[in-house]
Formats: sequence, structure tokens, C-alpha cells
Amino acid sequence: MAGEEHIFKRFDQELADLNGIVHRMGGLVEDQIAKAMTALRDGDVEAARQVVARDHVVNFLDVQADEQIVNLLALRQPVGKDLRMILSLGKTVTDLERIGDEAERIARMAIDIHGSDTPPPDPRLFSDAFRMSTLATRMLHEVLDALARLDVDKAIHVARGDTELDSEFQAALRRLSTYIMEDARNVGHIINVTFIVKSLERIGDHSKNIAEYVVFLVKGKDVRHVSPESIDTEELDR
Amino acid sequence: MSVTAEQISTSMPPLMPPTEPPALGEPVPDDIETVGEVTVENPRMTSRNVGVMYGDKMGIEHVSLDIGTNEVLAMIGPSGCGKSTFLRCLNRMNDTVDICRVSGSIRLDGEDIHDSRLDVVQLRARVGMVFQKPNPFPKSIYDNVAYGPRIHGLVDGRRETDAIVERSLEKAGLWDEVKDRLEQPGTGLSGGQQQRLCIARAIAVSPEVILMDEPCSALDPIATARIEELIDELRENYTIVIVTHSMQQAARVSQRTAYFHLGRLIEVGETNHVFTNPRHKLTEDYITGRFG
Repeated sequence: MAGEEHIFKRFDQELADLNGIVHRMGGLVEDQIAKAMTALRDGDVEAARQVVARDHVVNFLDVQADEQIVNLLALRQPVGKDLRMILSLGKTVTDLERIGDEAERIARMAIDIHGSDTPPPDPRLFSDAFRMSTLATRMLHEVLDALARLDVDKAIHVARGDTELDSEFQAALRRLSTYIMEDARNVGHIINVTFIVKSLERIGDHSKNIAEYVVFLVKGKDVRHVSPESIDTEELDR
Repeated sequence: MSVTAEQISTSMPPLMPPTEPPALGEPVPDDIETVGEVTVENPRMTSRNVGVMYGDKMGIEHVSLDIGTNEVLAMIGPSGCGKSTFLRCLNRMNDTVDICRVSGSIRLDGEDIHDSRLDVVQLRARVGMVFQKPNPFPKSIYDNVAYGPRIHGLVDGRRETDAIVERSLEKAGLWDEVKDRLEQPGTGLSGGQQQRLCIARAIAVSPEVILMDEPCSALDPIATARIEELIDELRENYTIVIVTHSMQQAARVSQRTAYFHLGRLIEVGETNHVFTNPRHKLTEDYITGRFG
């Protein structure tokens, strides 16, 4: 992933180790989201508890990645694309850690919804959440792939996809408020579902952030705070 | 040798014998505070309370430090801090300076290197040295490497010599570049190649420890990177002590770093700790460029 080898081979090994931690973390948070959503769908409180319990592994990898980054910066004095890679991966782990927190939050909501004595909610309350989760997990999966392959086009594609997730989120809020108006007894569940769709919307935002780090890593251009639609791919090469 | 008596003042008292070394395992005097762990589990060399006087001028004092087997120990510090002086104690190179007087105890594999029964030539084969400026002999590449094994009687006949020359040059990462011109003069190589030739020459007599005094200061960044990579590879088989003015180099190649200041060992620790969270203010000020 780092491109051609360094003369000082240990540096390559250390960069590969850092990449390994980041991708392990990426795979883990993908799995956390999937398990949390499955637990929500199946009403499996025990599975949801396992997701909550596993968040500490994500946190551990976050700390491990940061330690590796501190050592790389202090001992290898990276410059050029090495520096951009280390900075980008450093920011990526922060977003991955927060995605892990969102997955944990979804799992807690699943416990709240299915673990209480109140009657189980009407499954259609969740339909927006599952649609959004499909979009959000695809974004995350694709951006991790773009990061592994240093694929700028794919990263920009992911960043642009966030708009779709944002409109799904707005639509979900509108629909959930109509359910409250239909039957006020739903309000408890709907508050929980609102938190879930908010978490999924945040997962999309974090994935978009990672996509922007990929662009910085490969092209050295900072595309944060500009709309993804306006990114000129030819301009990136100049 | 790179430092001669002339470089120091000549109006000094004559050489005095080293003081009686303390017994092995004698504790580090605790009134001299070096921050960090000076001892290691598997020392190749140990020094206790080492001091060096150049006449009546103090070079270093109260230096107690272990050098671990198969580790790269980097010694850093401002000019005149005593790091090279200490390095030169480790194979008694200071003996060549008339006015220099070394005290304290230095042991190699538990053996006192100042023991009168110890052959200093043998010591310097076991503790080899690579200098700042590449200094190949004015001989062929082959003879540069073969010289040590020959005078130490380590080889018998051409075939054995050939083998040791090839092996040493290979370990020094130079073989592929010179195998077709072994009879050409070593001085005709580039600076980086000459330095690797000097490393091959040191390796040829199968040392346990290799001392390096600023081995890259005369080299460009690519030649430097090659030497650093070589140091990292050599660590598998040798113990290496390197003095460097480049903190970045110390950070890159070493596992432990020792910081010297005004003849004292101020701090020693694992390199990643020293460079991310030094414990002594002097170390921090020096590595962050806040000190003089």
C-alpha cells in the first residue's frame, strides 16, 4: 500500500503494521454495525449486548494505532506521501472509533426496544433504519476498499453518496413523525428509532470523512469543507 | 587514529594506570543520577562508574551503562558531551592518547577489558570500530577485508580467505557492487561504498561489538539510508554502539538511546520513549532543539 519500498526496510514494516491495525478496525466496525442491525431486526437482546461488550476492542485498536503513529512520527520523521499516509490513517482511526460508538449506540437502542416489557413495535417503524443501514454500510465498505487500494475515484464516489443518505435521513424523520401522529403510544419506540437513524446518518458522515482523507493521502489536496459534487478530478492532478 | 594527543593540550601529566575496577555486579552509585534504566537483562558490555580525564580536564565521569546483546545503542548529545570519549573507552582506543586516564570498570562478556592479561589487539578484534570518515587502507578492496583475518591468523590459505572476504562484503551489502573488481583500490569506491567496505573490514574478524563514530556524517542521504538499513540488519548478529550528531539517525536505527551532557550520562532508555517522552529536561531540550 505504501508503494515502492524504503531503503530502510523496517519503516515499510511499521507502515504495514499501522495499515493492518486500521483495516482490522475497519472490518470490526463493519461487523459491529451488521450485528447491531441484525439484533434489532431479530429482537435478539443477547446479540445486541455482545455488540456493546465488543466496543472495547475497537477502542483498543484505536489506542494501538495512535501509539504506532506517535512512534512513526517521532522515530521515522516521515515526509511526502509517507507523512500524508500517516496523518490520513491517524484521522481515519478517529472516525472508525466513532463509527464503532454509533454501532454500540444502535445496539443499546435495540436492547431498549426489545428488552422492555412493552409490546414489540410495529416492524414498519424500522423500515427506514434498514434502508439507511444498507446505504451506510455500503459507503463504509467502499471507503475502506478505496483506502486499501488508494482509489481516489471510488473515494469521491463514496463522498458523493452521502447526499443520498442525508435525504433518506430527512425522509425517515418525516415518516417517523407521522407515526407519532397516528398513534401516540408509539412515541417511546420512535424516539429510540430516531436515535438509530441518526447514528446511521453519522456513520455516513464518518465514511465521507475517510473518503476525503483518501483524496488527501493520494493527491495531497484537502477536499474537506467543499461539496463532493464540486470536486474536480482533473484539478486534483494539478 | 582520528583523535591524536596533539589535538588535546600536550602539557599534561603522564599516563596513569587505571584505578582498580569495582567488582562485577557492583551497584551503580546512586549519588550520580542517570535517569532511566542503565542496566539490561542480557548485557554484552557493562560499564560502571567510568571516568576519563585528559590530563586535568574531565572528559566524562560516573558513566554506568550496559550495552545489551544484539541491540543498537545510540549515544547522542552536544559536541564535547563525552559520547565519543565513552565510545572510545569500550575498545580502549583512549590508550592511544598519552594524557588520557580511564577509571572505573568496563567488562565485555563479564571480562574486565583493563585486565593486564588481556591482549588489547584481541580486544579490538572483538570490539571493532568504524570511523566518521571512511578510512580504507590504500590497498585493494580484497586486501582491505582480508587484512584483519590474516594478521589475526583466522584464515589459512587462499580459499578460506576468499570465503571470508565474500561473506564479509555480503554482510556489509557491498558484494554485488564490487565482486567484479576486488583487485581495484578501496579508495576508488564512492564514500558510501568505502564506509561499507570499512564495515566489511570490521566484520571480517568476527567481532562481537561494532562501535561506530558518526559513520554517516560524510555521506549523502541515500548512502546514509543504506548504512542505516545495514546497521538494522547487522543487529541480528552483532551488538552495535553508534555515536551520532543526528538525532533522527539515533531515532531511526537504535533500540536504546543514551543522552550525554557535559561529560555525564543524563538519560538512557528505549529509543521510542526517549524520543516521545524524555524524562530529563536536558534531554527534552536537546532533542526538541531548544538547547544550545
